[in-house]
Amino acid sequence: MNTRLCNHITPIHTRRDALRLMGGGFGWLAFAGVASGTSAPSPLAPKTTHLPARAKRVIFLCMRGAPSHVDTLDYKPKLNADTGKPAPKAGAKLLGSAFKFAQHGHSGQWISELFPQLAKRADDLCVVRSMQTDLPAHPQAFIKLHTGTSQFVRPSLGAWALYGLGTLNQNLPGFVSITPPSGFGGAQNYGSSFLPAIYQGTRIGTDGRPIAGAEMANLRPKISAADQRAELDLAQTLNRHQLARERVSPEIEGVIESFELAFKMQTEMPAVMDLNRESDATKKLYGIGTPATEDFGRKCLLARQLVEAGVRFVEITHGNWDHHFNLVASLRESSAAVDQPLYGLLTDLAARGLLKDTLVIWTGEFGRTPHVEGADGRDHNVGAFSLWMAGGGVKPGHSFGRSDDYGYEAVEDKLPIHDFHATLLHLLGLDHEKLTCRHAGRDFRLTDTKGAVAKGILA
Amino acid sequence: MKAAQTILPLVAAALSASAATAEIPTPQQLDFFEKKIRPVLVEHCYKCHSATSEKIKGGLTLDTREGLLRGGETGPAIVPGDAGKSLLIEAIRYANPDLAMPPKKEGGKLPEAVIRDFEAWVKMGAPDPRGGAAATVVKKYDTSNAKSWWSYQPLRKAAVPQPKNSAWAKTDIDRFVLDGLEAKGLKPVADAELLTLVRRIYFDLTGLPPTPEEMDAVAKSAIGNRQLAIEQLVDRLLASPRFGEHWGRHWLDVARYAESSGRDENVTFPNAWRYRDYVVSALNRDKPYDRFILEQIAGDLLPTSNAAARAENLIATGFLAVGAKSLNETMPKQFAVDLADEQVSAVGQAFLGQTIGCARCHDHKFDPLSQRDYTALAGIFLSTDTRYGTPGGVQGRNLGSLLELTPDAALPVVARPMSATEHQRKSERRDSLRAELRGILAARAPDNPNRDKAMSEMSAFDVVRVFTQVATLDAELVNYDETGKPKTLAMGARDRSLTSAARTDGKAKGKGKGMPSPGRGRQSSGFETIADAPLFARGDVNKPGDPVPRALPALFASVRAPAIPKSASGRLELAQWMVSPQNPLTSRVIVNRTWHWLFGRGLVASVDNFGTTGERPSNAELLDFLAAKFVADGWSVKKLVRSIVLSRAYQLASTHDDASFAADPDNVLLWRHSPHRLEAESIRDAMLAAAGALDLRPQAGSVIGRAGDGPIGGPRNRAMTEEQVAKADHDARSLYLPIARNVPPEVLAVFDLPDASDVHGAREITNVPAQALFLLNSEFVAKQSRRLAERVLKAHPGGAMEKFEERFTLACRLAFARVPDKTELDAARSLLAKKSGDATAAWTSLARALFASAEFRHLN
Repeated sequence: MNTRLCNHITPIHTRRDALRLMGGGFGWLAFAGVASGTSAPSPLAPKTTHLPARAKRVIFLCMRGAPSHVDTLDYKPKLNADTGKPAPKAGAKLLGSAFKFAQHGHSGQWISELFPQLAKRADDLCVVRSMQTDLPAHPQAFIKLHTGTSQFVRPSLGAWALYGLGTLNQNLPGFVSITPPSGFGGAQNYGSSFLPAIYQGTRIGTDGRPIAGAEMANLRPKISAADQRAELDLAQTLNRHQLARERVSPEIEGVIESFELAFKMQTEMPAVMDLNRESDATKKLYGIGTPATEDFGRKCLLARQLVEAGVRFVEITHGNWDHHFNLVASLRESSAAVDQPLYGLLTDLAARGLLKDTLVIWTGEFGRTPHVEGADGRDHNVGAFSLWMAGGGVKPGHSFGRSDDYGYEAVEDKLPIHDFHATLLHLLGLDHEKLTCRHAGRDFRLTDTKGAVAKGILA
Repeated sequence: MKAAQTILPLVAAALSASAATAEIPTPQQLDFFEKKIRPVLVEHCYKCHSATSEKIKGGLTLDTREGLLRGGETGPAIVPGDAGKSLLIEAIRYANPDLAMPPKKEGGKLPEAVIRDFEAWVKMGAPDPRGGAAATVVKKYDTSNAKSWWSYQPLRKAAVPQPKNSAWAKTDIDRFVLDGLEAKGLKPVADAELLTLVRRIYFDLTGLPPTPEEMDAVAKSAIGNRQLAIEQLVDRLLASPRFGEHWGRHWLDVARYAESSGRDENVTFPNAWRYRDYVVSALNRDKPYDRFILEQIAGDLLPTSNAAARAENLIATGFLAVGAKSLNETMPKQFAVDLADEQVSAVGQAFLGQTIGCARCHDHKFDPLSQRDYTALAGIFLSTDTRYGTPGGVQGRNLGSLLELTPDAALPVVARPMSATEHQRKSERRDSLRAELRGILAARAPDNPNRDKAMSEMSAFDVVRVFTQVATLDAELVNYDETGKPKTLAMGARDRSLTSAARTDGKAKGKGKGMPSPGRGRQSSGFETIADAPLFARGDVNKPGDPVPRALPALFASVRAPAIPKSASGRLELAQWMVSPQNPLTSRVIVNRTWHWLFGRGLVASVDNFGTTGERPSNAELLDFLAAKFVADGWSVKKLVRSIVLSRAYQLASTHDDASFAADPDNVLLWRHSPHRLEAESIRDAMLAAAGALDLRPQAGSVIGRAGDGPIGGPRNRAMTEEQVAKADHDARSLYLPIARNVPPEVLAVFDLPDASDVHGAREITNVPAQALFLLNSEFVAKQSRRLAERVLKAHPGGAMEKFEERFTLACRLAFARVPDKTELDAARSLLAKKSGDATAAWTSLARALFASAEFRHLN
């Protein structure tokens, strides 16, 4: 691992080292080509992992607002039986789920009626019912889920993954965040903090707005391709002329190459993102064409297109699952918006042979109380919540961990956020204790001084 | 709380001696140990906690009785007879997640029966036949010699070297540099060409390019005496207000300046800009750096003679208030401790280059700073009332007040004025909502028999809504007097009062005064007065230990640390200790940063870390020479800059040289001037300047100052949308763009504007496709390109292909501060020939190509 990158030594210096080795000016992409597997100078070049990687890429489906675990994935017959009885919290009353649960697939996973389509893929899912986080406030929990701590500004999960793995397609951003929220830490949730900026996520779209038509900033030329090429040719002529004058300048070479890269990205990225190249059947599979599932379906299909094209880490945010009131109707609505697309995503990834090494994660920032809030709502619950994973390296059709009979606290195989992160990195072939970056005098890692890989999740 | 955090080897001997004389175990007790305890220790603990461990974890060994009693980094493992006080029991009970043992990956929690055996064993006095000395635990990091690290030694007065080549040096700086080069057999390259040097000086001193007229004037005056012309130019630029705007921005990076709280709720700081303007003005007036430090740390405690000076000193303490904050933190105590930690970390790194924050939870692993030293400093800031002025309510559980400045200081106010009627209407609305809220809270009080009914009638969510409305109105109204006139407010700091009852500070109004205040629904942070801070075990606010007297760390022997009076926070003493001429860090750190800002690399490459994990200086004698001279020159930043810029070392060409490059590829010894990219602000300002659109008038306030209180983005009560901040645009200098955390202006963020959560004496320089896309496709660059096109067309009117050479030459002079050569003229001409559309469109394309080129954003 090249930790030098982090010590405020920029890629340019690394390039300089490379140039010194090569004895002078030399296109660095060309160099990366011949030297691939050795000390490639690009900070985004694929890197050797600490461990054998079970997953090569990640689709992280973040349900902002926190879905109720006791209504979706964590079946609580005792809670249903005791509905209306006093809850452990003074003055509160237990609220059984309004939704029916049933076992699905050969594995017999318990999933509620809110996810009829997803339930068909029950045998792909590894459902974790023992997630835990610290603070029952959205911003802190959201930031913690994404960076490991809400107390300090730290690099995001995707940035760490990209830092540890590099990317598979240099013509595309390596880490894309689709419609991230502006609040709850905003850009911090896909930022690179003290990791080099090249590892930060590229945002597409804004939370709460449709994804259709959204794209990466400054991707579209406002002039014709021919005009822009002519313009770029002049800039590059000036650059090469200056390079010739100065004989050796990694900085100018870097500029020349980044323009060619950007120029390619301009055409490649919209092509990758073009949903029109997908068949009607595929679109339908993702729920595109049905108003309720249109938006999330587009996001999921976009995620598949991106990972297929070599993007390392794609996150999708879907809100708002913060059901303090109108629980029954709102949760039904939120679930209906994602159910078919989730089914479509897993089915499509499997059909394309991508599911085996793509890790898909579906989670909120915490869970919701087993007791009622108001007449028809649930408050925040951090002692236990549920998520599912599928694909690359996780046990399919498996249940991991257990919460108490009401769903307040995880009681078996507790999985706090640091352990979740350690496990996720492990699946990507990264040892969370070795993936470090020197900053302000010490080595930092995503899991701080904690984290243990949950072996029971691994296939 | 265990009294000792780390049981030092010295006391271990004493402990084991007392243990040896403890009561002699009975055979039954020993049998219990052999059957129930030893096998568990061997199986579950020895792997990491015995003399044979590959690596002893936490400094704890459990294979001898002595090891158990001595304990590890968190204290003795057992207190014989008292299971409740024994860390070992706490650990195996899994009660404390930080201590939980054995770890999950080693099998996890022991069975309940085994835990009960251990408890019983400790209660019977932990009988243990295992004698022998516990393994000596070699600490992974040994800080015993850390105090001998170079940066903690007094400044050394080295004689100015006499290099072999006696003709080259112009100044003493040059003699040090050349001496360093000669020692490695290297030679400096030739001097920079005049126009290259002039462009470099303009950007380095003012952040702006020279105009063609200015270039002509310097070229003319340089005929005959180049160095004199350069000297005059440097003096002129140092005297220009543009200097403070550029160098002030350097300091704002160090001061982690931003106009919003960042982290969770990202609430605006509408008065942060006053601190920004203070910094710019301080640099322009060449305020002595020692005074600059005193004001920023303790301006409120300094005596002054007039209202304006008083206001200035108060605004300076904004340094302490502008850091990132988790306003949504639910525990007031945690918030207070985090705030003080942020301040300790920022002060330590900004002024001393020390990572003091590392010693929050344990002794610093590398530097000579104990957790006690940290706590002694934290007490100073916990005794300080930080006025960051964010509203309460859902977005800010931790509301803060501001400093109210006297109108006599005649400072600008940018907040929107309110009519008296509006003020009255809002006050009445606020009062009625307050009454409503009081009713709601009374109905929900635990002693109300009808509480359940009240709870079911109104959800907590609706209560919060009313609460937020009150808080929002409070936050707004407190900014105004009764007539609706905005008050003059600033962020900053004051000492807390000596006793909580004696809070006489009614004038500086708390935002949301009375709602919610400590004792009224909101618990107190526990830090309301001037007091020493407790040492928190492992930094956990729920585990306070004995208070540690406020004091300054004994990092070096050269300065006697002044005692801190009981009646004051200690900020003044801290600041005075920092600016003592004998403090070896303060002057070295700022001199080194100045060097970095002029050369792109410090003499110490790790500009913000002078601790033992930082770099050693590439030229220690030069650094000390500069630091001593800086202090002797009255801590004048301008004199320092002047002396460096007028050195021959600074004025070298950036020419490549194979042999020197092979020997010193990073140009550590300065055989040439390292070419480097401009900073984000300069790239933007230079485009505006070339376009002829740059508005050089200083801007009062900022977009955020005018928008007022509230979160940036988000659904409720927001002050501004994200787009309003990220896409903010005007023609004034980049310094005046809104600098919000998490949503930096796009035009600056793309070129590595640092994240304002940390101290940044140096910026990252990246080269990523997002920059190329910004240059090719952004609105901003398109607009400036069009303006540059119109400018050259207006200067030389005619059809698209007419007066090509005059136009292109002007464009190059504006963009590169030089005239184009034939290759460049030909390339530009062929672009124009290819372009469709009118002259403006064609020349806009050409202008964009100039802006996009490497030369535009690089300095040679």
